[in-house]
Amino acid sequence: MDGLKFEILKPYIPLILEGVKNTLLLGILGVSLGVLLGFVAALMKRSKITVFRVIASVYIELTRGTPLMIQLFLIFYGIPQLTGVNIPKLLAAVAALGFNSGAYVAEIIRAGIEAVDKGQTEAAYSLGMNNSMTMRYIVIQQAIKNILPALVNEFITLIKESSVVSVIGLTELTRTSDMIRSVTYRPFEILLVVALIYFTMTFVLSKFMKRVERRLKRSDNC
Amino acid sequence: MITVNNLCKSFGKLEILKNVSCKVKKGEVVAVIGPSGSGKSTFLRCINLLEKPTGGDILINGIKINEKGVDINKVRQSMGMVFQNFNLFPHLSVIENITIGPTKVKKVSKEDAIIQTEELLNRVGLLNKKDAYPSQLSGGQKQRIAIARALAMKPDIMLFDEPTSALDPEMVKEVLNVIKGLVDEGMTMIIVTHEMGFAREIADRIFFMDDGIIVEEASPKDLFENPKSERTKAFLSKVL
Repeated sequence: MDGLKFEILKPYIPLILEGVKNTLLLGILGVSLGVLLGFVAALMKRSKITVFRVIASVYIELTRGTPLMIQLFLIFYGIPQLTGVNIPKLLAAVAALGFNSGAYVAEIIRAGIEAVDKGQTEAAYSLGMNNSMTMRYIVIQQAIKNILPALVNEFITLIKESSVVSVIGLTELTRTSDMIRSVTYRPFEILLVVALIYFTMTFVLSKFMKRVERRLKRSDNC
Repeated sequence: MITVNNLCKSFGKLEILKNVSCKVKKGEVVAVIGPSGSGKSTFLRCINLLEKPTGGDILINGIKINEKGVDINKVRQSMGMVFQNFNLFPHLSVIENITIGPTKVKKVSKEDAIIQTEELLNRVGLLNKKDAYPSQLSGGQKQRIAIARALAMKPDIMLFDEPTSALDPEMVKEVLNVIKGLVDEGMTMIIVTHEMGFAREIADRIFFMDDGIIVEEASPKDLFENPKSERTKAFLSKVL
């Protein structure tokens, strides 16, 4: 038995910071890609063209119904096997996270759009607006209020789930803790620190979300 | 101006409109009355194609509008619609609610649109509310703004779908007064309403609808004092 000795982590601070940087990078890039894919998938799912709806549904269902780690392996190990082209770890990780998150974001956006009262669309049509104007000026503007809080939640989830990509050896936060653990033989200190860092990131985000929600409520004009 | 021939509308197996035909002349004010579920609102919503007819023709100024290749958006620009639940855009201020149609759809300049909007607001007596948001308005004020919003597109026809049904009684009058103003200007209008006194006062003709058909159409005097159909008599005895 011997107490916690956080000072042993001192030499590894640069490594931990590298991990923080990569985790944040994964979160931001992953969510950006996820929002992009999710937006397209949501619009496709609402499209009048059947093929688009089917493609979007297949993407959403398959992605939500399979583990993120398998998706990551398919991209990181599977694609090189098929094409002979190696994929950089960061690219594979962002692709997997973004692809995965996109399916959830698509549902968030779709639900947000559908929650806007149908009368709004009818009023816009009655002024002679076409579909895209109605979406752009009336529906999306109001849907954002429904979408944004859920989207920040998705961002929080993604930051936590990004720890999965440590399995392909990308030095994000979880991977750095593995590395430090295996040289110091002291798992507890580094795991505590890493947990605290994850918590700080998600806590700040959820506080930020609460504020945004309050702001949106204040401008709630229904 | 508006000619409707054998208009049919079904939702699945449910037939809402059964071969409705009618004509509305330019400058005419038609009030549509009848029990709930008689198809009044559906009839009105078909005229600007918010509901797609399942049969029959709708002609506006001689042009058949429920046909493939017709630009629905263009057709709708010439028809203002006022809804029971106002449907103002909650994320936009009063002035933005009214200018968004002209500026985005008709590409009117912002300055011109604002000048026009201020005139309209003046007319509905709400110029002092131009920077307010819909949530800050009473029901009657909301509906007057909704009327101004529809008028901003300079429509040839105004359609009113139970414009006072969602209002507290003390606010009905302010909305009806605005509509009366339009009557005096000679606007062509179709008004679905439960306000019998109002219908009688302003309409040139009244359509009594029941069970998806126009049972009787007549001048207000004839319809209210001398209804021919038994169904009309039964309805009027309940509401008057």
